[in-house]
Amino acid sequence: MYPLTKPVRLSTNRVSAHTGLHPELVRRFAALGLIECAADETGRLWFPPETVARIARIQRLRSGLSLNYTSVGLVLDLLDRIRVLEAQARGSDRRWT
Amino acid sequence: MARDFYEALGVPRGANSEEIQRAYRKLARQYHPDVNRDPGAEDRFKEVSEAYEVLSDPEQRKRYDRFGADFRRIPEDYDERVGAGRGGRTVYTSGPGSGGFEDFDFEDLLGGFFRRGGRSGPIPGADQEAVLTLSVEEAYRGGQRRLTISDRELDVTIPPGVVDGQRIRLSGQGGRGSGGGTAGDLFLVVRIAPHPRYRLEGRDIIVDLPVTPWEAALGATVPIMTPGGDVKVRVVPGSSSGRRLRLRGEGMPNPRGTPGDLYAVVKIMVPKRLGKRERELFEELAAVSDFDPRGS
Repeated sequence: MYPLTKPVRLSTNRVSAHTGLHPELVRRFAALGLIECAADETGRLWFPPETVARIARIQRLRSGLSLNYTSVGLVLDLLDRIRVLEAQARGSDRRWT
Repeated sequence: MARDFYEALGVPRGANSEEIQRAYRKLARQYHPDVNRDPGAEDRFKEVSEAYEVLSDPEQRKRYDRFGADFRRIPEDYDERVGAGRGGRTVYTSGPGSGGFEDFDFEDLLGGFFRRGGRSGPIPGADQEAVLTLSVEEAYRGGQRRLTISDRELDVTIPPGVVDGQRIRLSGQGGRGSGGGTAGDLFLVVRIAPHPRYRLEGRDIIVDLPVTPWEAALGATVPIMTPGGDVKVRVVPGSSSGRRLRLRGEGMPNPRGTPGDLYAVVKIMVPKRLGKRERELFEELAAVSDFDPRGS
């Protein structure tokens, strides 16, 4: 019913505008593997829309727990894995109520 | 937020800086809103962060130990002023004239916990998750519900036909953003409480249908209670226990498609005690019938 308003991918500048981060830092996050991206034929980087929420999470983890970016990467991976495992656990827990 | 800082960190007042740091690190990891999605975690995280901010700084800690919760309102030159007044009564507590700390922006300090990394752009708040337990009837009907989630009252509209594990998103009701960042979302994860009569399989509702032996044998139309109200079920003649009678569309509503079905499962009941006549009739039936449910 509603048109898809969210673009399917964001440019480095769009990510930068949404998050207030310098475009160079956005590229650095990508180089550190903290955020997913894909490069097109010209070498431009494109990011999925959830990147904005992920960067917010990176910033909260970094400032709230004084983590460096390597540790933030590890925490993000672990949180992602926990989410998958919890979803699986919920699925196998599907009982009659 | 008004909790004693030592209590917030769970350390005795005589704790050394190492103990304070250890307690803080542990609690910060436990309550960081990205690790702990409970709506109360964020306030707890800010509480321990604020306590640590003060108790890890020897100067501030000294002032806190001396003046307690009001330590920020006590001017830096307290001793000099008291000395000048030759031990007169303290007039500094919160009078409008005391200046200085009156403009202290507490929220600004709290927001600062997520900005200490140096960059000061807006950071959106984290998403939170809370469990919402509903009865089968509440899930069936949906409707307004007032919830209290970590001291906040929320009016929530539950769509009819929510199922176990479904997430209801309350936009902007999650963790607060800092530096002008938007708030996160609050997700209510629906849990449907076990019900003495109804069992759920996805959107299908299964309910026992107690019948008499003669209703099962001869067929009957019997009333049955469903979450949507009473309905009548036709028991076909010769229905044994366990037979599932389907009532199409009488299961959980589905806002986005076809509703579930309701299955009434035949359950033959016999009287615990037989009257004289009943016993005679059953004995006669036993003598006459050659039905053998265990036979090949």
